[in-house]
Amino acid sequence: MYLIKGMPIRLLQGRTNELQTHLNADDQSKNGFWNTGKTFGPREGEEEKKILFYHPCEVEKNEKIRNVGLCEAIVQFTRTFCPTKPAKSLHTQKNRQFFHEPEESFWMVMVVRNPMIEKPNKDGKPPTIEYQEDEILDSVYGAVLQQCYSMYKLFNGTFIRTFEAGGVELLIQKLEKFFYRYIQTLHLQSCDLLDVFGGLSFFPLDKMTYLKIQSFVNRVEESLSLVKYTAFLYNDQLIWSGLEQDDMRILYKYLTTSLFPRHTEPELAGRDSPLRPEVTGNLLHYGRFLTGPANLKDPETKFRFPKIFVNTEDSYEELHLIVYKAMSAAVCFMINASVELTREFCEQLDALVGPQLTLLASDICEQYNINKRISGPEKEPQFKFIYFNHMNLAEKSTIHMRKTASVSLTSVHPDLIKILGDINSDFARVDADEEIIVKAMTDYWVVGKKSDQRELYVILNQKNANLIEVNDEVKRLCAAVQ
Amino acid sequence: METTDSPITSLTPSDQNVLSENDIDSISELEDLLPPSKMESSNESKAIDTSSDNLNPKDVHVESQQDDAVVFDGSEKLVNASKDNGPEDTGEIVVTMLGRGKLDEQGVCANRIPSPLSETSLEASSHWDEDVTAESWRQHRKHVFVLSEAGKPIYSRYGSEEALSSTMGVMMALVSFIQSGDNVIRSVYSDEHTVVFMQQGPLVLVSVSSTHQSEQQLRNELIYVYNQIVCMLTQASITRIFEHKKNYDLRRLLTGSEKILDGLLNLVDFDPSFFLSAVHCLPVASSFRDSLSQILQKAITPNLVFSILVAKNQLLTIAQEKMVIEDAKLDPADLHLLINLIGASSAFQAGEIWTPICLPSFNPDCYFYAYISYLDPPECTVCLLLLSTDNEAFYAVAECKRKIEEAMLAQNALTYIAKAQSYSVSQVGVSDLRHFMYKPFDVPDNHHQLTQFTSPEMEAPYDSDEEKMRLLDLYRDMHGRIHNTSRPLKLIYHVAARETLLAWVTSKFELYTCFSPLVTKSCAINAITKLLRWVKKEEDRLFIRYPPKYSTTSNASKS
Repeated sequence: MYLIKGMPIRLLQGRTNELQTHLNADDQSKNGFWNTGKTFGPREGEEEKKILFYHPCEVEKNEKIRNVGLCEAIVQFTRTFCPTKPAKSLHTQKNRQFFHEPEESFWMVMVVRNPMIEKPNKDGKPPTIEYQEDEILDSVYGAVLQQCYSMYKLFNGTFIRTFEAGGVELLIQKLEKFFYRYIQTLHLQSCDLLDVFGGLSFFPLDKMTYLKIQSFVNRVEESLSLVKYTAFLYNDQLIWSGLEQDDMRILYKYLTTSLFPRHTEPELAGRDSPLRPEVTGNLLHYGRFLTGPANLKDPETKFRFPKIFVNTEDSYEELHLIVYKAMSAAVCFMINASVELTREFCEQLDALVGPQLTLLASDICEQYNINKRISGPEKEPQFKFIYFNHMNLAEKSTIHMRKTASVSLTSVHPDLIKILGDINSDFARVDADEEIIVKAMTDYWVVGKKSDQRELYVILNQKNANLIEVNDEVKRLCAAVQ
Repeated sequence: METTDSPITSLTPSDQNVLSENDIDSISELEDLLPPSKMESSNESKAIDTSSDNLNPKDVHVESQQDDAVVFDGSEKLVNASKDNGPEDTGEIVVTMLGRGKLDEQGVCANRIPSPLSETSLEASSHWDEDVTAESWRQHRKHVFVLSEAGKPIYSRYGSEEALSSTMGVMMALVSFIQSGDNVIRSVYSDEHTVVFMQQGPLVLVSVSSTHQSEQQLRNELIYVYNQIVCMLTQASITRIFEHKKNYDLRRLLTGSEKILDGLLNLVDFDPSFFLSAVHCLPVASSFRDSLSQILQKAITPNLVFSILVAKNQLLTIAQEKMVIEDAKLDPADLHLLINLIGASSAFQAGEIWTPICLPSFNPDCYFYAYISYLDPPECTVCLLLLSTDNEAFYAVAECKRKIEEAMLAQNALTYIAKAQSYSVSQVGVSDLRHFMYKPFDVPDNHHQLTQFTSPEMEAPYDSDEEKMRLLDLYRDMHGRIHNTSRPLKLIYHVAARETLLAWVTSKFELYTCFSPLVTKSCAINAITKLLRWVKKEEDRLFIRYPPKYSTTSNASKS
């Protein structure tokens, strides 16, 4: 397990208002690091102004400036050797630092401490601290940092748009508001290969039910013409999405790790429990809003929904995010943010979607149970696997137990999952199809297969198997997965 | 290039302005720093054998009588011609000083003949004037930099140290900045490069590599570089020099040795011995190897500790002083450095060389005296190395060489050696097997043995330099993964686009194999079974099974 106490995240900006127009990436790389500050950046003594966000904020000002300076120096130093591909991570004895430039001249830095082992000393001397320097995988935490940005962007739009709209003050304000909460929800200890993929878990469905869902989505979009995009999930797994993949993958992350977990309790509590929000007279359906109004009948209710930003590369759309759920089925409706959403609209949506979704949810549940029965009782398989498809971002893991808000539990030794991460990093370097089978020191066999944009990682439980048996086992699994 | 505007200002210690620094060190100043030779010699004899006084090579009176005879030339190389021969005869006997530390040990220096190693400064100038801002400079596969703690450049693989002094200044600034936070910088990763930092005493070594090697492997390569410098100067004198003058320009002492470091880095790239930490033996019939060993065993003189025969950059045989073996074994890394040293300069091809050499893994603080001579001029493929602990032993050791040469001539050994060559993988008789590297651990007397490995020639499709390098990179990759510092593995089977590789580490051996890409797993396993059987059958030819020993102590006591 990691011992991570405090994880400074810093966001800094490399350029200042007045010079924005003259400066592009090329100018910066040509000018040595040493004079960037003087010519382009804030004047001496104003380095602090480069820092837009720093966590933990109580760190002393000079310490902040030093750390930010180090990041700049490292990035600039690596540009000596390749101007276009600057440093992504810095490894030191005590920690690793990850650098990410999500938008030109805006840098995000995340520092993760190396796990420590305290070795007791005799004679009452203080224990020796030994750092485990190879426990953190760059690919995993690099991905986590990118995810931080994507999540910020989903709810706040790009840095530069904010900067243009409200200057540095607005940007700082937004960053603080978002990251203050978000950092607390990052559970760095349990990050692994799945964070590298950032994939979507799809709900397996027969054709008929899938068509039913599609026709439901079409009907709703038809009746509620304000709806621009729709996404449909069941059991925290995706069934249908009208969003672009990259937007959906971060929205999916938000829904499954943040929004849904916050709303599970009332449903688990049962119908008569006082925890359950009053369905106020409407017993025709189980539908309710997860975002926006908690109770439609309450005259005090505000009809405000969270706003999200999608397609930031081109059309840059700002949308209301309505998440509506009935039993295990959840639908996201996204509506242009310039439209003001009223009580009437929400009532209309509730009346239209509530009953249909309730029906659909029980249909899916029934179908799901039938399928489960056909496939027979689940027995402990000889292997556990992670599958990821780069084309549709589909991911499936039997290594991870059900994800909760706080930790994702895994059923195998962390070292084995790190070996999966190592194999994944090897795959990432080569475009061609590859297969890697390794035997760990604990005698577990681990298999990685990459073919045609798909990756499969298997951990076999049979310790005494030989290479050929392992191969046969994986062949059987591949046949089953595809 | 003022730095005051940036928060990084604090990175640059004030005494680190490497550009404007004017060197005022004079040679005489340095002279004071260098230890009297007897100190090192006594260290050295202690390292070799503390129990036996017989090995102590030093007679103090020899030293004192030579003190006033010391002369040195501007290039800080001391060259001794033999007393009878003028400079014209240097082809006959050239006694070279590699390290400055030995200046006062050698007497009678008369002629300022450039040392065999200083020629290199001229030859190596091709990449010295390389434009360090050019794309071609950035494109180099692997950069290596050596600098002092004061940020002074000592060595750069590509481009002149002067042109790179600001870059090296930044490197040092990064190292000391992170140090000031009670932390240690290890490495920086970008999509293109891995930058590894390593501090060794007062030196900082940096590798900037686009090879995807593991950090551990790059670190090991930097240790080779550091040790090659130690091999010339000893660790003790490096430490002393910088203790005395923090911003000393070490290049003064290493003039001419750039080519040795260049050569080392080329070898490191192309020779798997380095990352395997094992010695590659030239395969010859065991009876022939035994007869060579016997020749070495017979030609001994007091204080001789290692007799080494190298052919075609591979080891033929090595005989060691018994007491030395009991005390410590010769590390493959030290032998690699020696072989590189010989190969790095064509000057060694001329006559006989007598030079102080430190074996860093053996003892980083003391010198041996190496006698180096090729036995087959002008081809110069067979080289004899005799290592003594006595700096006065040149004539005695040269006499050993004469005996060895005579005995070899009598047996027509050179002709045999010329015919000996590495083998083809086809001799193993396993189809689909393209290449392999096998490193046994179950050798007799393992504890005192040199770690060895065997490997066939690289044949098609690995016959071009690019393909050779590609296969070596694949091997390095497998090696790095199987020896991962925190998650080591036992076996890797890797099916890639152009070949299938298998790496396997057991308590008895370490094996890397390369198959054609379409080999099936059962074929590969059968092939490996056959290969292991073949190696077992051939092991007497492929490896030095029983390294010969000799004892010079009894002789020493007589004399």
